[in-house]
Amino acid sequence: MRGLLPLVRWVAAVAVAAVVLMPVVWAVSISFKPPAEWAAHPPRLVPEEPTLANYQVLFQVGNPVGVVAEMTRTAEPVTRAFITSLIVAPLATAASVAIGFFAAYAVSRYQVGGPMLPFLALTTRMFPPVAFAVPLLVYYRMLGLIDTRLGLALMYTGFTVAFPLWMIKGFIDSVPRHVEEAAILDGASRWRVLFTITLPLVKGGVAAALLFVFILNWTEFLFALIFTSRHAITLPVQVSYYAGAVGRFYGPQAALGIVASLPVVIAGYVIQRHLVRGFTFGLVK
Amino acid sequence: MVYWCRERVERMAGLLGGRIAEVANRDSTFRVILVAPLQLLLWFLLIVPTLIVLYLSVVNWQPIMGVDWWQAPLAWVGNYARVVRDVRFWEAMARTLGVVVAAVGLEFLLGLGLALLLRGEFLGKRFFTSVILYPMMLPWVVVGLVFFLLFLDRGPVNYIIGLTFGPDAPFDWYGHPLSALGVIVLADVWQWTPFMFLILYSGLGALPKEPQEAAMTLGASPWQIFRYVMLPMLRPIIYVAVVIRALEAFKIFDLVFIITRGGPGTSTESISLYIYRLSAIYGQLSYAAAMAVLILVMVAVLTRYAVKPMEQQQVPQ
Repeated sequence: MRGLLPLVRWVAAVAVAAVVLMPVVWAVSISFKPPAEWAAHPPRLVPEEPTLANYQVLFQVGNPVGVVAEMTRTAEPVTRAFITSLIVAPLATAASVAIGFFAAYAVSRYQVGGPMLPFLALTTRMFPPVAFAVPLLVYYRMLGLIDTRLGLALMYTGFTVAFPLWMIKGFIDSVPRHVEEAAILDGASRWRVLFTITLPLVKGGVAAALLFVFILNWTEFLFALIFTSRHAITLPVQVSYYAGAVGRFYGPQAALGIVASLPVVIAGYVIQRHLVRGFTFGLVK
Repeated sequence: MVYWCRERVERMAGLLGGRIAEVANRDSTFRVILVAPLQLLLWFLLIVPTLIVLYLSVVNWQPIMGVDWWQAPLAWVGNYARVVRDVRFWEAMARTLGVVVAAVGLEFLLGLGLALLLRGEFLGKRFFTSVILYPMMLPWVVVGLVFFLLFLDRGPVNYIIGLTFGPDAPFDWYGHPLSALGVIVLADVWQWTPFMFLILYSGLGALPKEPQEAAMTLGASPWQIFRYVMLPMLRPIIYVAVVIRALEAFKIFDLVFIITRGGPGTSTESISLYIYRLSAIYGQLSYAAAMAVLILVMVAVLTRYAVKPMEQQQVPQ
């Protein structure tokens, strides 16, 4: 019985991994299929005539690539949305983590803003975002921020800042004060201490917060859908356009889904290693 | 002359810079500068919008009225009274809560099972854990799209059902409210079970080993050890994981929007989708605001009650 356990465990792990991988593998497979195979019966995992046309139409609509071009005439190329996402998500992530880091330091060291400030920041995550979208619609229209990348980045900063605040606060709490006090006695300014002593000690927390907030900003959909219409639409919104308006046009839908997911998945796996390093080097104990 | 000027300017700039640096280095200013961006952001995106939504909910305003929103006629509790009588609102609410219970319940059971299963060392463990975690990184809309493709009429799921149960068994998943909601719940479970797994797995790893060993020495069965030794110690972490996940699942919008658009009819509409339509599509901002305020109050009260036992409970060591 004891000897069987590892085998059972291994079989179960393989089954779980298969369930986790299969849906996306199927989408990848569709993204390389020509239109005739999208809904072919019986479905095949490996495309009979693999094609890149689904990916091509994403970036050059109107280029004749057979039936796909015929079906995509109404859809816009995704280049613009891609660029918007590449600007808004990193910008908002940097702003959110920087603001969160400063505030975390102030809260951890001086309890600025009272004990309620961190919880106030957390309320931005507690409630459904749509509840904030209603007043922001009025507000943003007045300020002319609707359908701008700046407006979107501002919103993303505000609605993710609770995470870096809480994540980095935990790290700063564990940095002993006497390290900083020693440097101040040596004549370093508070800013110098903050950037050259505290920041390197908590960089594991900062890296974790960066990754986490980037994923949130890259994948955000509701605000982008409501507050952008033409100039500042992001990739998730473009995915929804492809999925809805054009109907049964599964190949490019799947291709766009893959393209929209790649940056976060790659970022996740690249930073994963640094996270482990950050966590081990960053701890002062 | 030029040199003299430059020298003066440089010295003044130096003095000014030194003065700024000195002021910025003062304890009181330092604190204020550190926390000011956060406070500005919260005022701009949390406090002012909350005041506006409260105001909007007691007036009667729509953009098409041609009046500025601060000149709208008062409606007092009229909007709230309308929400209370709105069948579509209550149906969306019940549906959303149902999805939360089903999805979070399944995620908890599966996550706990996985955490227990993967506790020991085995071949390829690192690979499995990193494979299991990737769905969390995907955009919700992409998960919705992937599951939409899986459950198509002529998709792979129906094909497998046809092979197993005969050619009449394949099912029109999006044609019926319950099965369409089932696809939404499955997509949510697929994406967020890893989150439950991650929290419960690290929780299990942090449990002290002695009580388990003591129970084993006294002859307790594995089930008894799990049920009466590990589960009580794990309870605070289970609480945190379930509350966080439930709050997130209650916001459900992206999956519904991509997979069913609330259809057929409005039979799979979630509360977020309904408020989105009212505000962004139908332009009934005051009505949507009243609904938003009710949701804010409800979530706040529920969370308060959910958090209470967490505060009273001490982690047994």
